[in-house]
Amino acid sequence: MVATTLQTPPTRQVPSDEPALKRRPHRLSPPGLPWILPALVLSVGLIYYCIGYTGVISTWDWDGISPNPEQVGLENYLKMVNSPVFWGAIWHTIVFFVVTFTAQTVLGLLFAVLLHSQVKLAVVYKVIVFVPVVLAPAIMAPVFRQFYGADGQFNWILEHIGLGAITQPWLGQSSTALWVLMAVAVWQWTGLTFVLYFAAMGQIDQSVLEAARIDGAGNIRTIVSIIWPGVRGTTVALAMLGAIGALKTFDLPWLITVGGPNGATEFLGTIIYRQTIPNYHVGYGAAVSIVLLVLALAMAILLQVRGREKVTVD
Amino acid sequence: MYTAHRSRRKLRAAAIIAAGVTSALILSACAGGGGGGGAEGEADSGTLNWWGWTPDISVGQAYIDAFNEEYPDITINYKQVPIEDWEAALRPALASPSGPDIFAMQPGARVEAFKSFAEDLTPLAEDTLGEDWEDKVSAIGVEGLSADGKLTAMSIGATYAGSVWINQDLFDKYNLTPPTTLDEWVDVCAEFKANGVGCFVQGASQEGFDQDTLQAISDSIEPGVWTSASKGDTPWTDPTIVKTLETWKSLFENGIMQDGAIGYAQYPDANNDFMSQKYAMVQMGTWYMQYATTAGQTAAIEAAGVADPKPFPIVPIPFPDVTGSGNPAAYYGDSDYGLALNTKSKNKAAARTFISWLTATEAGQQVVADKLNDIPALLGVEPNWDSIEQPFPDVQREPVQKLIADASASSESRFLYLNQDVQDAILAACTSVADGSATPEEAAATLDAAAVASRS
Repeated sequence: MVATTLQTPPTRQVPSDEPALKRRPHRLSPPGLPWILPALVLSVGLIYYCIGYTGVISTWDWDGISPNPEQVGLENYLKMVNSPVFWGAIWHTIVFFVVTFTAQTVLGLLFAVLLHSQVKLAVVYKVIVFVPVVLAPAIMAPVFRQFYGADGQFNWILEHIGLGAITQPWLGQSSTALWVLMAVAVWQWTGLTFVLYFAAMGQIDQSVLEAARIDGAGNIRTIVSIIWPGVRGTTVALAMLGAIGALKTFDLPWLITVGGPNGATEFLGTIIYRQTIPNYHVGYGAAVSIVLLVLALAMAILLQVRGREKVTVD
Repeated sequence: MYTAHRSRRKLRAAAIIAAGVTSALILSACAGGGGGGGAEGEADSGTLNWWGWTPDISVGQAYIDAFNEEYPDITINYKQVPIEDWEAALRPALASPSGPDIFAMQPGARVEAFKSFAEDLTPLAEDTLGEDWEDKVSAIGVEGLSADGKLTAMSIGATYAGSVWINQDLFDKYNLTPPTTLDEWVDVCAEFKANGVGCFVQGASQEGFDQDTLQAISDSIEPGVWTSASKGDTPWTDPTIVKTLETWKSLFENGIMQDGAIGYAQYPDANNDFMSQKYAMVQMGTWYMQYATTAGQTAAIEAAGVADPKPFPIVPIPFPDVTGSGNPAAYYGDSDYGLALNTKSKNKAAARTFISWLTATEAGQQVVADKLNDIPALLGVEPNWDSIEQPFPDVQREPVQKLIADASASSESRFLYLNQDVQDAILAACTSVADGSATPEEAAATLDAAAVASRS
């Protein structure tokens, strides 16, 4: 017969010099909480709550004032996909991204390569290229309205260099207004592309470049085979920023062309503002906002994944 | 343990202090309200905030200065908000407890949007003008500013479109007479262009001003059809509207509209071009009368970027009969704006004093009339021409007086029946016709579909 003895588990004696915190942990106030609280409140409270609330509003027919918005389900989304203005804005966004990204990449890379070589007054050139980045579109918009106007300085220049035959009201016709906006965007943002490429090129191993030279590679070959692959990460990041920026485009078309003429420079951003503020269709504007968010996220993820895959293969 | 207790004590103390401060604030707020002449304040003293997209600051200040001669203890701060930012600024302001005491109300869609923030001013109109107050003011200002049986704002006066303003100096310089038909207009423009002067300038990227031109053309073809379509009684595919769009296109094809017009804004582009004498004609309504005064025009020329502003004679003419139908030129208008009283205002009594003085007393309305910005709402009040300084009275006075008389006789509305969706659709229709991306029939059909959708 085995005698069994029930024993109470020994009580742990807490050493008197052990901190009180260890003896009685504060479950309700983890030590790191106060430090992350501001960021948590900001991101959850302001950003994610607003996104969620915008999603809710997108199912309303609401003027932004009435205390009793009407629930309409997905009607705003249906109206949106049936709107030629919406699809026009999507098309303008695609064209805007492709053209401005390509032009900025070519120009930015070119400037970066040139300024990595032995150029006199390189600092001055860097400043000149970068200055447009820090100028506010609201300040530059009236200048460009004047510059590209029917009797503006751009036509004046064309006339004085013997190209008077092609002068036209660049902002006053549907066929050219979007190109003007893209030219302005390229002028404004090439400086940023240049700076990032300039920094990325500084990270390329000099011995690789020297080896390429020893193997007889010329300038073009060096750029194509050494530098371009070497700055691939920067290009992917710029593509991501460019795509999101194109989707969010608002200031340039609103300030220079107000989305016109005849909707030729309408973007998702201008639709959101026009529908939400002057037209009082807050629900519809929210629906377009949600679509913009989804597209921006999808573009960011797609470009990130594509970039990673390539790096792995290399 | 000691630390935890101390924290709790601190928290408790803070809560007691906060509660005490809150109570004190509430009590002092109540006490303040009680000592200031009641919840609505005093009728002859206080500070008011007045917001509007119009009038210009100088005109608004002139109204205030004249009011203060009679009511020196009421301080009014006038804030002019650009028309394009009006909704964005006013909506959150009215939703907050610190919005303007008085705000401008435009007839039509904005009455629908902001009526819930506006106090019914019918009792104020009755107190000021008597039971038969509606017989003493312009009907155009009552209908457009009323909603759900309440008068949301009291009209300060009306503006009418349908006129064209010309630079008489330029016409005289090239020995030209103002056009009355399409052919004459084409000839005049050809002559101006041959001399390196712009002819007619229009900001065709802005729907309101396009509507003015379209309505003028439509009324010259068949009076009343445009208004009927605006009300929804006639489809926008009506042959008159289609012909209107055809005629509109001919203005571009015949070289009357300036190059790139559909990318131009009426304000500031077209206005500045006219004021800097780059163009000889501009389509503007009665609100342009204010620039037929020395002070008004000098300021406008300066604002257009001219370094040494010197007035030149601007004169209104009827819109040319571009379709050859022989119908007289039409004028159409609405109340320019009314003054609405914010339901949340803490100075309602003083606000009522200002609103009734400016919109319904002879003294206030005379100031409005003399500024030539609006045709007064109060019947019988006319500009005192002896006190109005015009730079070229011999040339300007008679045409301006005729414009006031002709426009005041009109009962045709301008924007009253059009919501923003239909206005956007009108802009899309006329710009697509102008740039050739749609025929007048196609554009009219698209416009009609948008108008039907906006009513559903």
